[in-house]
Amino acid sequence: MNLAYERVSVMNTVISSETVTLNTKKIVEQCMGLESPFCKSRCPMHTDVKEYVARIAEKDYEGAVKVIREKLFLPGTLGRICAHPCEEACRREREFGQAISIAALKRFAAERADDESLWDVAVGEDTGKHVAVIGAGPAGAQAAIDLRKAGHAVTIYEKEEKAGGMLRVGIPKYRLPRDVVDYEYRYLDKLGISLKTKVKVGTDIAFEELVRQYDAVLVAIGAQKGNVVKIPGHAAKGVYSALDFLKEVNLTETISGKAGKVVVIGGGDVAMDCARSALRVGAKSVYQASLESLAELPASKEELDQAVGEGVDCHFGWGPVEIIEENGNVKAVRLQKIKSVFDENGCFHPQYGEETALVEADMVIMATGQVVEDVTGGALVQIGGGRYQTNSKTLATAMEKVFVAGDAAGGKIVVEAMALGRKAAISIDRYLKGEDLEEDRDFEQEWSYESRLDVPLPEGCRDLPRLHNNMRPVKERVCDFAAVDEGFTEEQAVEEASRCLKCECRLCLKECIMMEECGKCPKEIFEPVLAGQAIDMNLSYSCNDCGNCTIVCPHELPIRETFMESRKDFVRANGGDAPLAGHRPVKIHQTLGFYSMFTTKVCMSGKSVSGELCISRCGVSADLCDGGENDGN
Amino acid sequence: MAIDKEIQYGFMPGCSLSSYNPDVVIQTVAYLREALPGFSAVLKCCGKPTRDLGQYELFRERFEGLLTDIRDVKIEEMIFACPNCKAVFEKESQVKSHSLWEILPLIGLPEEARGKAKGSDMVFTIHDSCSARGDKAAQEGIRWILTELGYKYVESECSREKTRCCGYGGMVNPVNPELTRKVMQRRVETLADYPVVTYCATCRSTLLKAKRSAWHILDLIWGPVVYAKDEPPADVLEVPENVWHNRFKTRRGIAEGCQ
Repeated sequence: MNLAYERVSVMNTVISSETVTLNTKKIVEQCMGLESPFCKSRCPMHTDVKEYVARIAEKDYEGAVKVIREKLFLPGTLGRICAHPCEEACRREREFGQAISIAALKRFAAERADDESLWDVAVGEDTGKHVAVIGAGPAGAQAAIDLRKAGHAVTIYEKEEKAGGMLRVGIPKYRLPRDVVDYEYRYLDKLGISLKTKVKVGTDIAFEELVRQYDAVLVAIGAQKGNVVKIPGHAAKGVYSALDFLKEVNLTETISGKAGKVVVIGGGDVAMDCARSALRVGAKSVYQASLESLAELPASKEELDQAVGEGVDCHFGWGPVEIIEENGNVKAVRLQKIKSVFDENGCFHPQYGEETALVEADMVIMATGQVVEDVTGGALVQIGGGRYQTNSKTLATAMEKVFVAGDAAGGKIVVEAMALGRKAAISIDRYLKGEDLEEDRDFEQEWSYESRLDVPLPEGCRDLPRLHNNMRPVKERVCDFAAVDEGFTEEQAVEEASRCLKCECRLCLKECIMMEECGKCPKEIFEPVLAGQAIDMNLSYSCNDCGNCTIVCPHELPIRETFMESRKDFVRANGGDAPLAGHRPVKIHQTLGFYSMFTTKVCMSGKSVSGELCISRCGVSADLCDGGENDGN
Repeated sequence: MAIDKEIQYGFMPGCSLSSYNPDVVIQTVAYLREALPGFSAVLKCCGKPTRDLGQYELFRERFEGLLTDIRDVKIEEMIFACPNCKAVFEKESQVKSHSLWEILPLIGLPEEARGKAKGSDMVFTIHDSCSARGDKAAQEGIRWILTELGYKYVESECSREKTRCCGYGGMVNPVNPELTRKVMQRRVETLADYPVVTYCATCRSTLLKAKRSAWHILDLIWGPVVYAKDEPPADVLEVPENVWHNRFKTRRGIAEGCQ
């Protein structure tokens, strides 16, 4: 939009008035037009959920995968196992308890259209720097990808035979088929990331050696050491940590111990994984006990529902106090009723009641947390859970050139591990370039945050039920390790994607054709003004002065008012005259509109304010009579 | 509000209405003169176009002249037919302002107008001016008048406070006619599919440009009963000669009316 100026130079001499400046500041500060939707801001990787869900609704699956892959190299994996904080944040979840099945839609798109020939394998110009990454789980892999794309050489050291970390050893195959992991991890190879498998840092190669050899080192090891609660009998044969149990089952699809009657201690997703895996290696019964009540249970509802559906016998509010042995083998577990798990400050501090229960068992699996096992030989300080002490903003450590990511930096779920990998990569890239690690860095965008979006529900919005994935029949699925979840059909995916409310503000742009043509939102349109530029005169003089923008704005921002007010600034800069050529007829019209030939004033009846009789008369102001015709009588 | 017998009311028809239909202005003036104990009339531009261009100092100068005129004819409270004039007065002066559409329900319609359209098959929809989006009394008054006349009407989705600009707001048309055309089109699309009643003569003219039948509410009060088959009055504002001829006619009519 470019309107004809009478004097082009006007734009260079405009000074915004105080009103325009103050209004602009308010608009830029409060406009929510660029605010992320709830799903995107809560995803620590800030995947553009709204965009890819919209593509799926339009059946543009290739487009959807392209959007996902801008942030995530594991669409099929995360589509199956992500703990999806985005769904908890979804407006449909908060309003109706019916979140969009975001993860499942991601999986659907990946299955339909993820084609490695379309992967973006461009890498930056070689920087001559070489980074060592310890651990090829999601955090290490993500960091490696980002660093390689920035032009650095990257070598990953992985202790297992294949890359994937916890995806391979921690997550059951029936939730995550390994061919999906294999396929998606090929991306690292395509980027030219070097992977050294079956090399255990700290055993096969010293940590110090890596520090000496490389320009930077990232410690991205998982929390792979299972925790066994030290109650009497914990050393009996048949007591497993969750990680030892899962690793063996995941790598071999069997378990060496006797899996007759299995008791799983713990109430998180890992406990559910253990319970369901136990069924698949031939357990006759699985008894799950957690300290937490059902309401406090850390496990996701889906995991719990599936476990119960498969026949796991769940008991909430019970804590283990003793493992009873017979000839060194597990015989039973004594449980005690829990009165409360957390104290008044919300700290973990279980209080036991009187009631006890004795549960027969051949195997006890303790899904009671896992810790990070040091690989640095004590070079880095470990804190709770074995995590390394870092600068939480940058993930730098006290040791120069050494950074930490993933579980080792406090990540709890896969997508968080990836976000920590990305954060560490940003720091390492800065470090390698000799830049400050914190300067001008938008840390908010490196982790989940609460969107400041505060908009009414779209008009006519109804509660539409969430569609769930298609699960294989229980009888069939508990007998093998094949995927239990068959995903969406195309029809289901499109229907589910179409439920998205496409959360955004930009309500004013739906009202204003002019702004809709000129920018994303008032914030974007007015931002240059704060930087000292004048409002675009084309926009200012294209405002209809209708006020619909302010009416629909949740913050009632003075958008119209500011456009109209800014016109005064242009006039001032133009010597008191309106600056656009098109205004000439208006000026002529206005001169006539005040001309005596077309104006009159008459007092027809009644009394004046002073109480005198007002005499009927016709006339115009004396000043306007000059040059005009007399008043028509 | 209630009509105060002690108050000198002043009526200002506004530029576009005076340029569109002098007869309805003159008849309205005569009717108000009879109905209100103290009554004056002013025909002049409120200066909104000057203000809209950003020429605020020139606007103030012109507006002060208008305020002087108002004082000259002893007006204490103003009555406006044009929602834009009313909005300008509310923002720029201390003068107590009413819309004609708020006054008419108080004083009633002329005897001959009441129920005159009861036999009409016409069904209207209403276009509220965006400058009157906050003026509930005016919005209610227009609906009251239609019902009192005997016409049926259907509400549009974007009406009252949610109404949309006809396209002519903000003096955009002279500099960006393409945008005006789009806004105009969007307004027409968001109106229910019936002939339209407006209470701003410029809005009426704009709707006609967008190929919608439209009547000014005063056409319906003072003019013949309208039927579904009828064509609306022509868009006289289209031709500048008409505008100034009519404006002069209005002026003469008001002036003669006080003799």
